[in-house]
Amino acid sequence: MRTLSLRHWLPVLAVGISCLTLFAEEKQPAPAAKSDATVDFSRDIRPILSNNCFFCHGPDEKHREADLRLDTRAGAFESVIVPGNLKESALIERILSDDPDMQMPPAESGKKLKPAEIELLKQWVQQGAAWQEHWAYLKPERAALPEVKQKDWPQNEIDYFVLARLEQAGLKPAKQADKRTLVRRLYLDLLGLPPSKEEVDAFVKSDDPRAYEKLVDRLLATPQYAERMTLKWLDLARYADTNGYSIDGGRHMWLWRDWVIDAFHKNKPYDEFITEQIAGDLLPEATDWQKVATGFNRNHMITHEGGTIPEENLVNYTVDRVKTTSEVFMGLTMGCAQCHDHKYDPITMKDFYQFFAYFNRLDDRGLDGNSGINAGPKLSVKTELSFASEELKSLDTELKRLQAELDHPDEAAMRNWEAATQQQLAERGKNLKLHELEIVKVSDPNTRSDFETSEEGHILALAASGRSPSISLKVKPGTDQLTGLRIVFYPNEKLPEGGIGHGKKESFPGGFILTSLAASGTAIHSDQLDLYSMFNIAKITASQSHPDYPVQDCLDPRDHNGWSPAPHNQSQQHLTATFEKPYETKDSKYITVMLVWGGGEFGGRQALMAGDYQVFGISGIDDGSTIPEAIQTILAVEPAKRDAAQQTALKVYYSQIAPELKNTRYQLSNLQERRKMLTDSFETMVMNTAAKPRETFILDRGQYDQPTVQVSTGVPGFLPGLPEQAPGNRLALAEWLTSRENPLTTRVAVNRFWEMLFGQGIVSTTADFGSQGDPPTHPALLDWLAVEFYEQGWDVKHILRKILLSATYRQSSEGTPELWKEDPQNRLLARGARFRLQAEAIRDATLKVSGLLVERVGGASVNPYQPEGLWREVSHYGSSPATAQVFVQDHGEKLYRRSMYTYWKRTVPPPNMQTFDAPNREVCLVSRARTNTPLQSLVLLNDVQFVEASRNYAERIMKEGGAGIESRIRFAFAEALGRPPEAWEVKTVTEAYQRELKNYQSNDRAAVALLNQGESQRDKSLPTAEAAAWTTVASMIFNTYEFITRG
Amino acid sequence: MDPVFEYERIVTRRTLLSRSARGIGGAALASLLQPELFNGSAQAETTIPAGVKKIAPKAKRIIYLFQSGGPSHVDLFDYKPVLRELHGSNLPDSVKGTQRVTGMTAGQKSFPVVAPFWEMKQCGQHQTWISERLPYTQTIADDITIVKSVHTEAINHDPAITFINTGSQQIGHASLGSWLSYGLGSENENLPAYMVMLSQGTGKNPGQPLFDRLWGSGFLPPSHQGVKLRPGSSPVLYLSNPAGIDRKQRRKLLDDLATLNRGQAEEIGDPEIQARINSYEMAYRMQTSVPGLMDLSGETEQTFEMYGPEARKPGSFAANCLLARRMSERGVRFVQLFHRGWDQHVSIKSQLPNQCQDVDQPSAALVKDLKQRGLLDETLVIWGGEFGRTVYSQGAIGSPSAGRDHHGRCFSIWMAGGGIKQGYEYGKTDDFCYNIVENPVHIRDMNATILHCLGIDHRRLTYPYRGLDAKLTGVEEAHVVKGILS
Repeated sequence: MRTLSLRHWLPVLAVGISCLTLFAEEKQPAPAAKSDATVDFSRDIRPILSNNCFFCHGPDEKHREADLRLDTRAGAFESVIVPGNLKESALIERILSDDPDMQMPPAESGKKLKPAEIELLKQWVQQGAAWQEHWAYLKPERAALPEVKQKDWPQNEIDYFVLARLEQAGLKPAKQADKRTLVRRLYLDLLGLPPSKEEVDAFVKSDDPRAYEKLVDRLLATPQYAERMTLKWLDLARYADTNGYSIDGGRHMWLWRDWVIDAFHKNKPYDEFITEQIAGDLLPEATDWQKVATGFNRNHMITHEGGTIPEENLVNYTVDRVKTTSEVFMGLTMGCAQCHDHKYDPITMKDFYQFFAYFNRLDDRGLDGNSGINAGPKLSVKTELSFASEELKSLDTELKRLQAELDHPDEAAMRNWEAATQQQLAERGKNLKLHELEIVKVSDPNTRSDFETSEEGHILALAASGRSPSISLKVKPGTDQLTGLRIVFYPNEKLPEGGIGHGKKESFPGGFILTSLAASGTAIHSDQLDLYSMFNIAKITASQSHPDYPVQDCLDPRDHNGWSPAPHNQSQQHLTATFEKPYETKDSKYITVMLVWGGGEFGGRQALMAGDYQVFGISGIDDGSTIPEAIQTILAVEPAKRDAAQQTALKVYYSQIAPELKNTRYQLSNLQERRKMLTDSFETMVMNTAAKPRETFILDRGQYDQPTVQVSTGVPGFLPGLPEQAPGNRLALAEWLTSRENPLTTRVAVNRFWEMLFGQGIVSTTADFGSQGDPPTHPALLDWLAVEFYEQGWDVKHILRKILLSATYRQSSEGTPELWKEDPQNRLLARGARFRLQAEAIRDATLKVSGLLVERVGGASVNPYQPEGLWREVSHYGSSPATAQVFVQDHGEKLYRRSMYTYWKRTVPPPNMQTFDAPNREVCLVSRARTNTPLQSLVLLNDVQFVEASRNYAERIMKEGGAGIESRIRFAFAEALGRPPEAWEVKTVTEAYQRELKNYQSNDRAAVALLNQGESQRDKSLPTAEAAAWTTVASMIFNTYEFITRG
Repeated sequence: MDPVFEYERIVTRRTLLSRSARGIGGAALASLLQPELFNGSAQAETTIPAGVKKIAPKAKRIIYLFQSGGPSHVDLFDYKPVLRELHGSNLPDSVKGTQRVTGMTAGQKSFPVVAPFWEMKQCGQHQTWISERLPYTQTIADDITIVKSVHTEAINHDPAITFINTGSQQIGHASLGSWLSYGLGSENENLPAYMVMLSQGTGKNPGQPLFDRLWGSGFLPPSHQGVKLRPGSSPVLYLSNPAGIDRKQRRKLLDDLATLNRGQAEEIGDPEIQARINSYEMAYRMQTSVPGLMDLSGETEQTFEMYGPEARKPGSFAANCLLARRMSERGVRFVQLFHRGWDQHVSIKSQLPNQCQDVDQPSAALVKDLKQRGLLDETLVIWGGEFGRTVYSQGAIGSPSAGRDHHGRCFSIWMAGGGIKQGYEYGKTDDFCYNIVENPVHIRDMNATILHCLGIDHRRLTYPYRGLDAKLTGVEEAHVVKGILS
């Protein structure tokens, strides 16, 4: 057992299967065909030579040993291979030798040929050493369909290639998957969402012989299909919402993401899709939207780290563009040639820097992108997402409805509130006592700040310095409990205008803006705010607040809002923060307060900080109130005596704070923001051409400061050349990439589509079509698809449809024991594919089934739930104008958008996505791994997002699943898994349900606690014990292997 | 267990073994299946590449006390009495050379030499110079080797910290810890092989940012990335059951879940299902093992005294050091602490003492504690940052706000335990702590040495990435620093 469990941390064994497919086992060829005695150079020999010999005897001239190269026919046949003659072939002699001076590969290389490989090499020489150029660099041609025996199986051309290979290996294809499996498979593959019970039933019950085809067409036409295709593209294009390097501040690139969604939805021909992203700005009369597409090559990481060298950064950016462009479109690892000629593929440094030259001509700067402002070049444009105009109409209706809801708050709830508020107002200031605190230290160690303290305990910052000071305080003897803190601000004649702060005449004269207030309590003194012992602040009040800077805003830690008592800057002011629960100070005497003063948005670089203040502890009840004076006046009037204006004012106020209308308010502000997103212009980064483009040099060892020979634009020499007189710009590059002569672009694209639908590509190394890549399992099929793609006008939906309609795709994924043994990785496709869903699809599926999913397409990223404090513990918060330094969760529908819209902070990616192998998007990633870890189980079991989904699903089960337990279980299975449960499953789940029900019936508090997870409103009309028990059942179903697997 | 299913599992396992990928990649995999392979059974000879087996591991695990920001080697370890005489003079051009410096001081008109701000003392039998700001570290002088000649090409934080943690300045490579997780796996079936803890510095706050990639898996499978351990109710993200579900309930619900999953496994024959079932079991065990790890109530007063008062403050460097010891006891392969705030561009005179105070006592306590428990021999402890600091002043010399800029051409780190000499110094710099004059140790060499201590030949620990057999030590030469090995 120990062995078994140990595996877990390790990419659990079985995981191994899928993740190895993508990684460690890349070099593993498909099982050899049984009857295939002829050695195939491309499939069998080149990979051995490449992996074992090319490093020293390959394209890299500088490091070539013994002047021997084995990557070209000429080189190999010049001296070491004599076709048909083993004895005369030095290659064979050297690999068979056991003399350490002779033996190849030499011991220090760490390479060792396996007996089977040696055998293959021998056979190959014996059989005449047939040589082929590397398959991927030859133009694909459409092969004739191979002959097959089982003639009734093929549905279309694809199947001939697959079946022929199976028959060669003595295997038979699997039976067609049942209809339920097929419809679920199609939904998950094409939409990244499971079908509902209704959607499954519609397909299963249809007797239309073309039902499958029609379903495919219907799904391909949905916006969800476009989203699903875009998600994949985001990994390739290393899309993120932050800059990545160092401080990792925020950026805005969502318009580019909108462009991608739009392109997939419109089925933009793939050649145009490439061209616009590479060179949209250079197209004749380029539209703004075409320019937005060029953001593809601006998605790379950017830095504004002080002290870094701009020229070096610019080289890094351009290198990233080369790597990404070559990997994404051509499956070439050109990055290797940045510092030296490629070790395996014929890519020279000159090739690299010529390619580099295309992307080195824009008007970008080496230090840029700070303060949440995009780095140039950039455009300000409106989204052209085709769904926008329709959505606008529905938005306006919805906004009206929400406003109406707010206009009519619940009268009874309002009366309760009023009673509670009256009492609160009456109790204001009850037992209030201010407690002086001993100042241990005032510091702002990230700046040159200097603080003084006065005898009275004032903190003096009479010279404006220290943007985010921490004040460390000690509770004095005799105080056992504090209910909160008060900060008093004193006017001081040494401050501008004799005020309370450093504001200059033009803005907040003598005043300040406090953008954030936080405090922590610890047993040991803390110089700095202790991020892990922060008080929750339940209430905050102030003596005065500027209408645009209400005191509540300083509880939002971000810079763009805050509190200011202005214009009351010349009199003493205070704010009072009441803790959620009293702070017991007997054994925990220390308090650290961190203040962040305005600067940033409020007055450029102005230091809008207070200059003379004191922090007190308080006991008792704050004498301030969050209720505005005007409302207090109304409340003082007997209800019956209030006039109409007063009644209205009270209602308006109440609807702004009513707890039961919280989600309505969130929704209103979300939709107002959304409306703006569809109608206003926003900035996005693009490519352009500088007035004086930078010159490009070959850089010795890739170092920015080691230029050697100047080069102009050009494409790798071993591939078909550019047309004569092609201009030296990106448009010419795009044309070259999409020409019929380019052997790579079509193959790489169709291989990726294949991978999306089968879990692995025909070339399993989707990112590397070079010498070290895996040779295709079905080369003729790959070429057929590539040519078809080209000839059908780069029609993505056409090629997907072709694959989806094949018998190969429709096979059942259940394998026989023999097949598991014979071909565990399913390289020969004798069964359908099955693999775990990717991170986003797991979350999205859960949201859809629970009924929470909000299918709004496009727009800016959102911040759904994530554990507290993850950004701040690693960020430059308080010390940088960069945005995205502290996480602030969104509310309302933004919690339930599809995962592709989750805000992607590169240095702290969303943890629940990352746990399921989502990349950090720092660099281009062509294929994700698929691992299996205990941390994934923890996410699905305990993440509030998933628990909340479970309780919402429970409500659906109770409301839509009929009355009986069995009927509800049937509904639960059908809706989530697309099939009815087996009898034993019903039994297992029934028992579980009844056990949990009993449990919650005797523990209502637990039931309510579970049902309170997440911010969505719960249906209080449902019995709590039942709802909680169904929640555990729902969670169990979401945790099944089947739910997170596409089979 | 279902026999048919078990059969499939074995088949799969064989398949993997027979395909052993290149280098230790294959061995690494094999070890996942048969951990005993790494204990030197006869079977191992045939599976593990020759190069790996030649080294007998001295250390079984690592605790890396990473000091983020660049501690000043000039002030802490690399003592040059002559600097007192040179104080205020301009750094000679012959020493400064023509290599690049950061944009923060490149424009300075002069580069005045600043003597160490504090005194140093010769400590222990070896008479090692250690700063008075590190009084506790002084007491472990005879347990550690100080390497004074570590160097890096990077001169700014992001590239430098990425370089030292992932072996490359370029983004996308695997961190040291993830390599070890991949290569050696875990010793404890209930805890991850690679755990990470963060703490904030008091000298400078916030310190330079940290990035997920520093403990990320880069091109390795993501299951090898470091798992963060944080203070609070959910020390590993999502560890705690939601309110309203207790542990007894969870057990039963997981049993039900396993029943459902097992039924599927029987029907479909996909070995991944069993792996998934096992993951849930492991998750359940972690729900006990992690809180057990975090529970310090069994630690003695004496221990707390040793690590200092901050050890009682969750999330502090001291508390993390104590936890690191507890993890080492439990066989966590690689524990990495990141302490922020060592970036003293300004006010070094006031910042550095606070930074030192954060880490001095607990770092020394950790070494002593491991020693007294007999764990130091098998645990390699490493203390250091991504670069050092310049001997010349950043800002006007003598001003309270003056500091020191980044310096990658030489810096000091210390190592102790598994396989490292005790009471030793290695490498030498010039009178200005500016250039190395003896025994340079590149970051690659450091990494090769660390792997060596764990019994791994750095040339053999590989993973196929972009066509290359990628290694922690990269494509350029790297050498094990034999001089510091015991």
